[in-house]
Amino acid sequence: MAGRLAHVADCFEGDPKVSAAAAGAALEVERVRRAYGAVVAVDDVSLTVGRGEFVTLLGPSGSGKTTTLRLVGGFEGVQAGAIRINGARVDGEPPYRRDTATIFQSGALFPHKTVAENVAYGLRMRKAPKPEIAERVARALDIVRLQGFEDRFPSQLSGGQKQRVALARSLVVRPAVLLFDEPLSALDLSLRLQLRAEIKRLHDELGFSAIYVTHDQGEAMAMSSRVAVMNRGRIEQIDKPERVFHEPANEFVYTFIGESCRMDVRLENGRTLDPQGRPVELRLAAPLPDGAWRLYVRPSRLKIAGDGEPAPNRLRGTIHFVEFLGDVFRTHVKAGALELFADHPGRLQQGPGDVVDLVWANEDMKAFQ
Amino acid sequence: MSEAAALDAPPASAGPRAPGMLRALGWAFTAFLVLYILIPVGVTLAMSFNGAAMIRFPIGDWSLRWYEDFFGSAQWIDALVNSIVIALGTTAVSTVAGVLAAWAFQRFRIPFREFWYVLIMLPLFMPGVVLGLGVAIAFGGFQIGDHSLYGSRELVMVAHSLWAMPLVFMLMEATFKTVDYRVVEASYDLGGRPVGTFFEIVVPMVSTGIVSSALFAFVISLNEFVMALFLTDRDTQTLPVLMWLSLRSAGTPRLAVASVILALTVFACLTVIMVWYVRQLRKTAR
Amino acid sequence: MTLARADSALAQAEPRPAKTSRRPNLAPWLLLSPALVIVLVFFGLPTLFMARMSFNLHIDQRLYVPGFTFEHYRTLFTNPIFTGAIWTTAQLALLSSLATVLIGYAFALLAWLKPARWRLLFIGLALCPLLISEIAIIFGWWMFFPKNGLLSYALVSSGLITDKISLMYTEFAAFVGLVYITLPYAFFILLSILDGIDRQMLESSADLGASPVVTFREVLLPLTRSGLLVAFSQAFIWAMGIYATPSALGPDTLWTMGFLIQEQMLGKHNWPLASALSMVLVVGVALVMILTRSLMSRQAAYHV
Repeated sequence: MAGRLAHVADCFEGDPKVSAAAAGAALEVERVRRAYGAVVAVDDVSLTVGRGEFVTLLGPSGSGKTTTLRLVGGFEGVQAGAIRINGARVDGEPPYRRDTATIFQSGALFPHKTVAENVAYGLRMRKAPKPEIAERVARALDIVRLQGFEDRFPSQLSGGQKQRVALARSLVVRPAVLLFDEPLSALDLSLRLQLRAEIKRLHDELGFSAIYVTHDQGEAMAMSSRVAVMNRGRIEQIDKPERVFHEPANEFVYTFIGESCRMDVRLENGRTLDPQGRPVELRLAAPLPDGAWRLYVRPSRLKIAGDGEPAPNRLRGTIHFVEFLGDVFRTHVKAGALELFADHPGRLQQGPGDVVDLVWANEDMKAFQ
Repeated sequence: MSEAAALDAPPASAGPRAPGMLRALGWAFTAFLVLYILIPVGVTLAMSFNGAAMIRFPIGDWSLRWYEDFFGSAQWIDALVNSIVIALGTTAVSTVAGVLAAWAFQRFRIPFREFWYVLIMLPLFMPGVVLGLGVAIAFGGFQIGDHSLYGSRELVMVAHSLWAMPLVFMLMEATFKTVDYRVVEASYDLGGRPVGTFFEIVVPMVSTGIVSSALFAFVISLNEFVMALFLTDRDTQTLPVLMWLSLRSAGTPRLAVASVILALTVFACLTVIMVWYVRQLRKTAR
Repeated sequence: MTLARADSALAQAEPRPAKTSRRPNLAPWLLLSPALVIVLVFFGLPTLFMARMSFNLHIDQRLYVPGFTFEHYRTLFTNPIFTGAIWTTAQLALLSSLATVLIGYAFALLAWLKPARWRLLFIGLALCPLLISEIAIIFGWWMFFPKNGLLSYALVSSGLITDKISLMYTEFAAFVGLVYITLPYAFFILLSILDGIDRQMLESSADLGASPVVTFREVLLPLTRSGLLVAFSQAFIWAMGIYATPSALGPDTLWTMGFLIQEQMLGKHNWPLASALSMVLVVGVALVMILTRSLMSRQAAYHV
């Protein structure tokens, strides 16, 4: 098994277990900017991808993550800033002169070429000798577990198989940076999870450097060395996945990652008012100064209290309805104009119409003004 | 939908099929159309087997006599050859020009796009008389070395391209739009240069489009006769021109044979293309 | 084997705004050049020539004499032969375009509504006139209309009439031929417009209680109006320029512009007059095209 891993890792230059700090960064994006007319798609973005690092660009549509990727790949031109691959400046170069390989959302396989011809394409462009091409193609197909598919055409492949061919095609040229453009978005759920695990496994074995673009948080958290959360052309936070989740840098990151319940309240002279001015029964353990606040708690941290239970923070409201989500029961509670929901693994005693207390701990709440 | 109608009290006035009278009208119209379109075809086909020297119905004497006459006549065979040669030349010129132009429009940003687009398409809307006249006046007197341009096949090829090239351009423009540009980007991404990518990746993807437009160009040129009338002389006249001149002087079943031969040439091309197309399909979708 | 170019000077410089487009790109113009050569040299030039020629003098039997005169244009608009021809052509073109569009619309509707097998048949049928040379079409009708033609024979032998009849060299024959030739173009234009319409709109109209006729009037017709306009103008332009069909099938008095151009050019060797006629035709066509485009752009785009 170890022998096979080593053999497979041969396909890829460099020590699979290298750390990001070693031997200079694979990719440096330095204060890059790209606008289309009045719309600034990428606004002063900088990031570094070390050797062997897997960096994910995560964000909603329009956040600039895809544009950033395309700037790195050379499909769009930068209007300000610089891009360096392995230390050399590439931002003026067309895609065929950059040492990157992209895996597109639709796979973008050449429909009139066989799987083997598709995978061999990049090597042919680099003028590798024929026997070497044949060998490397075979090994690449081996890695993505598509041995025997050499002579098939893309029209004969399933969605998942197509993406694996796309993977092999990009891996085989051993680029300095692999670029993933939402490669799993077009697949159904079970396939997505399967391929996600494959990509992670490949990264663990081969140690390639990569930028991965997605709007799916699960993917970002599961696969990355670091996650860059993007919003409106800027990077809001770039850090290890656990840090982004538990220590969000700002309100956007907090609300974008994971689910959260939001309370828009106004604190005035000891009273708490909802957005429509009606009073709500909210008690905070650590009181906040007067003013308008946005309070967030994650639904998994909200509990429906039994009577007399000690609780640092408490909000009284009425159960509106209950949803069964498979893993948990989601109880929707209304307090005035405030709407929250709490997730519980089991069915509650209380039902719609009952008055309950939602309780949570201090460290589970984030407050923004 | 019919279930819903059954449940509700008022019946819907239109079901999945139109009411009786409309359907009868539809059938009648279809019959009319079929007749209308096929009459000249049928008449010509029948008359080509007429043994008599006059064109009249009913046909008493069925024979292949006029076919023999056609293939035995040097003048008519020369005309057929001229037509085919000119059509091939037109196809080559207009397909290359049209495909390249369409790709330029697809891939690059071109200043004043609309203007150039209209300019390229303009000749297609001009009557054949006007184009033929124009080319004859402008180039009729030209001499290249020994050869006079007037009456040359090459001039006719170019004149026909005035119609064929915009057609190829229009068809290929639509075809190129269906190309998934990501595939082209993938080629660049892996190191393919623009020219290489065009021939190795793009052209195979649009091969059916190219072949269909080339076929159209061929058919247009083969059948065209007004421009050819203006631009050919006795040696280079095409089959349609010869037919027109013969029509004015005397009509015999030989003309019917010529029509049939002309149509058969087109049909032969079509069949070759279809066979090629089917083989292509079978290759990529086993 | 790495592809990244080492550019040490650049790597040491401050990050500067890079241009999104590099030096002015020659590539598109290279690709466009064959098409442009064809259009500019073999269409643009001749058109200019013709324009110039139309002002030349015509004396005796010489083809043309360089000079400048409006005489030919005057002739065109005053001489009844020519004004008559222009008027005749326009009339014939208008009538046949109307018929073409009406028949073509019904034809396209049939092809659109019927299932796939029928559709292919209809398309095959519509392709026939396109694949056959105009001269062959003329000849086909030439054998159908006269006294000894198929029409006469069929009518007599089936007992509908007693004497042989000839419809040859009538305006009706020219009309029939003209519609035959322009029909496929109208058909394909209208079919492509219809294809862009969501069939479920018709179904929902029926669902809401409209009879087929009402659905057609209220839903289909408004949506296809622009297509009808385009088809009509195309047919009209074609019919205006046509030369052989009317002159072969119609009466000798039916002089179309196309016929006159040919006559002046090859028969009377009067190049300037032929050119003047051509220019009038060209300008007329251009006007119709511009008119059509402006009418179309004014309509809201609910289709396609």
